[in-house]
Amino acid sequence: MVQMSAANLTVLDAAAIGRCVRRLAHEIVEHNPQTGDLVLVGILRRGANLALRLKSALAEITGVDVPMGTLDISLYRDDNRSGSGDPRLLAREVAFSLDGKRVVLVDDVLYTGRTVRAALDAMADLGRPESIQLAVLVDRGERELPIKADFVGKNVTAPHGQRVFVRLAETDGTDAVLMGGAK
Amino acid sequence: MLRLPKIDIVSIDDLSIGEIERIMVMADGFAQRLEAGERLHIAEGMIMATLFYEPSTRTRLSFESAAHRLGGSVISSASMDASSAAKGETLADTVRVVSGYADLIVIRHPYDGAARVAAEYARCPVINAGDGSREHPTQTLCDLYILRKKKGHLRGLTVAICGDLKFGRTVHSLIYALARFGANVVAVPNRGMEVPDYVLARLAAERNYSFSSISISELKALAGGLDAMYLTPSAPHQMALFTSDIPVINPAPPSPGPASLDAFYVTRFQRERRSEAERDQPDYVRFDARALKTSRTQEAVVMHPLPRTDELAYELDTDPRAVYFEQAAAGVPVRMALIAWLLENAGRDTIKPGTAPLVLKAENAPPCSNPNCISRRESRYLRSRFKPAPAVSHHELCLRCEFCERELKVQYVGHSRSRRYYRFDESLLGFVRQWLEDATLVVFETVKQAEEAGYEPYRRGPQREIMNAEEINRAVETMAGQIIRDLPDLARVSIVGIVSHGAVLAVRLCEIIERRTKVRIPCAALDVFRGYDGLQPLGGAQTFDVEDRTIVLTDDVINSGWTVQRAMTTLWKLGRPAGMRLAVLVDRGHRAVPIRPNYVGKNVPTARNERIQVRLGEAGEEGGAKPGDRVMLYSMVESLKEAGESA
Repeated sequence: MVQMSAANLTVLDAAAIGRCVRRLAHEIVEHNPQTGDLVLVGILRRGANLALRLKSALAEITGVDVPMGTLDISLYRDDNRSGSGDPRLLAREVAFSLDGKRVVLVDDVLYTGRTVRAALDAMADLGRPESIQLAVLVDRGERELPIKADFVGKNVTAPHGQRVFVRLAETDGTDAVLMGGAK
Repeated sequence: MLRLPKIDIVSIDDLSIGEIERIMVMADGFAQRLEAGERLHIAEGMIMATLFYEPSTRTRLSFESAAHRLGGSVISSASMDASSAAKGETLADTVRVVSGYADLIVIRHPYDGAARVAAEYARCPVINAGDGSREHPTQTLCDLYILRKKKGHLRGLTVAICGDLKFGRTVHSLIYALARFGANVVAVPNRGMEVPDYVLARLAAERNYSFSSISISELKALAGGLDAMYLTPSAPHQMALFTSDIPVINPAPPSPGPASLDAFYVTRFQRERRSEAERDQPDYVRFDARALKTSRTQEAVVMHPLPRTDELAYELDTDPRAVYFEQAAAGVPVRMALIAWLLENAGRDTIKPGTAPLVLKAENAPPCSNPNCISRRESRYLRSRFKPAPAVSHHELCLRCEFCERELKVQYVGHSRSRRYYRFDESLLGFVRQWLEDATLVVFETVKQAEEAGYEPYRRGPQREIMNAEEINRAVETMAGQIIRDLPDLARVSIVGIVSHGAVLAVRLCEIIERRTKVRIPCAALDVFRGYDGLQPLGGAQTFDVEDRTIVLTDDVINSGWTVQRAMTTLWKLGRPAGMRLAVLVDRGHRAVPIRPNYVGKNVPTARNERIQVRLGEAGEEGGAKPGDRVMLYSMVESLKEAGESA
């Protein structure tokens, strides 16, 4: 359901986000029938909240409690240039080794792919996972790196200059995916 | 000139138990003679050189004081910086030169295994005063000295070691030494700072120690709910091992834990060995008097290698059980004893008995997996060296670095004479030992690496051609066209080819783009197995810059995608590309990372046991198909075991 609100277009409302998360969980199970070595790694903050929701959805579907960790990756500027910096790892809360695990990396929006690249880099220090799959709520295209999500909640084509942002109850008080120019 | 025997003290294990006991007795004597204000001339004429590539106050001063107190003298360099040294002189050259000026070298260095290298290249004896996160044997001698003084003996003590057990080099040396005296070690690490696996592996292999995670209420009280790891000799007095907080793998009845503790060894957080992101540790253990109030701990002494930060409460300083200042004061008599012991052994046959280690054939050895290992930091003249280590998995060969002891696990092994490679499994272990002895063993991290090195799988099934020279040429022309269309600002594009076929492809793409657009794109080859050092500019260029450029990464075949991920890691370490496109000749599926190529010559669905082999001749003549080019698909029989089954 798409409706206009003030200046922003609602791409997904709360109910649609709920359905997306459940569908993503089902797809993850379908592609990983052996849930024993599955782990979730969420990118802070909204990716981590989504990972937590996926974790409970996975528990509902399979009865398995999938371990979860988080990565804090933020835009990091280490020089005086006015240009955009590259996202870097700020903190890592993964209390288990990733050796031999099937990792599902979770983020809210996939855009340039730079955050995911930094996350892949950060995970390399945590062991040698069997595989890393990427689950995102929204894929808005316009990739700058050869990154592809394995599980996508919704593909959104935003006109140039428009932004796509995800609001989640845990961080923003409400569940919505919006598109527009203003936050 | 005073000649000291070439006895290097790189690890505490370089001293036997008897030698350690002897040094302890000598240290007692020197402590008394210092107390009495005696002037000593034992080391008259000896020149000791201190090479400190890392800041140190007490270790350096106590060594220099010890040398002067014995009547010797000291030469030193005001400030040595490993990073500037790395640009100029190698460690090997420095110690070769300095060993001509001095009779003894004391070295501290930030890289793991540096003292071992110094010992190998110096003509005079070398004493390790701390190398990276590895060992600090003279600190251990001081620790043992104080323990012995306070407890009357060293045999079978129970010592709790708290704090940063991952990077604390004093801790690793102390654990090895305590294990030799049959001690029980209760490790109380901060979360994420556990004793590294390679230390545990060495204890298990050499001292027959077994270990298990436990949680002891007393330790919880002092360390804020942390689990303790219990190391105990399997013989002679086996203590029950159990787990409580973590899932129990081998359920065993709970044991009461140690009867009583003889000492607490508290360590500081090794901040300087952490990355930016990990430098804040608000939960770091804080040790205070409460820990000494229980019946099991009231006899325990509290030790700390100093300097302390916040982990040791100042209120403890006046407690007679706090012995850390005595520990620091012992630095001079103990180091005097060590120097005097070397002098005492002046006539000794310095070639220690023992078998030479089996070393992986140098030119084939992969780099050590530890980025701080001296063999990687000074790779210009050092080759990696490994010994086989006890394996954990049946499908991986475990090799231990001779310099830093870090373990490297490899899945593929090869035989350099037959130029065949195999997926490792246990049934190969006998062969691997034999090949290691014959210096014909090579190891590979991936099949790709093996094939790049010109190795063939042990046995292969039927093969078929999936691309001929003409098709390859057409595919490359098409990809070049797509790149020209997609990236209009060609002046800001660079091409990086993954060695070796990716690099051939990169050069061909460059040539086609130049022919069609008259724009010459910078091009480089990247050897992902050599990391940062692996980037080589192609086409006569001297430098290659990734900053702000759109990189087209090329490879022959994409499979799991780990190689591409590795290449991205390397490129992002060199700068900040404006973007990246991925061009591959063949996409065979089976992706294990979320990477998708932008330009694909041909999609070839494959089974897992199938391999794709690409033959691309070096670019020579202008344009057109190269007659030798082809892409073959074959199924492979990877291991001897499989071959045996199918035969």
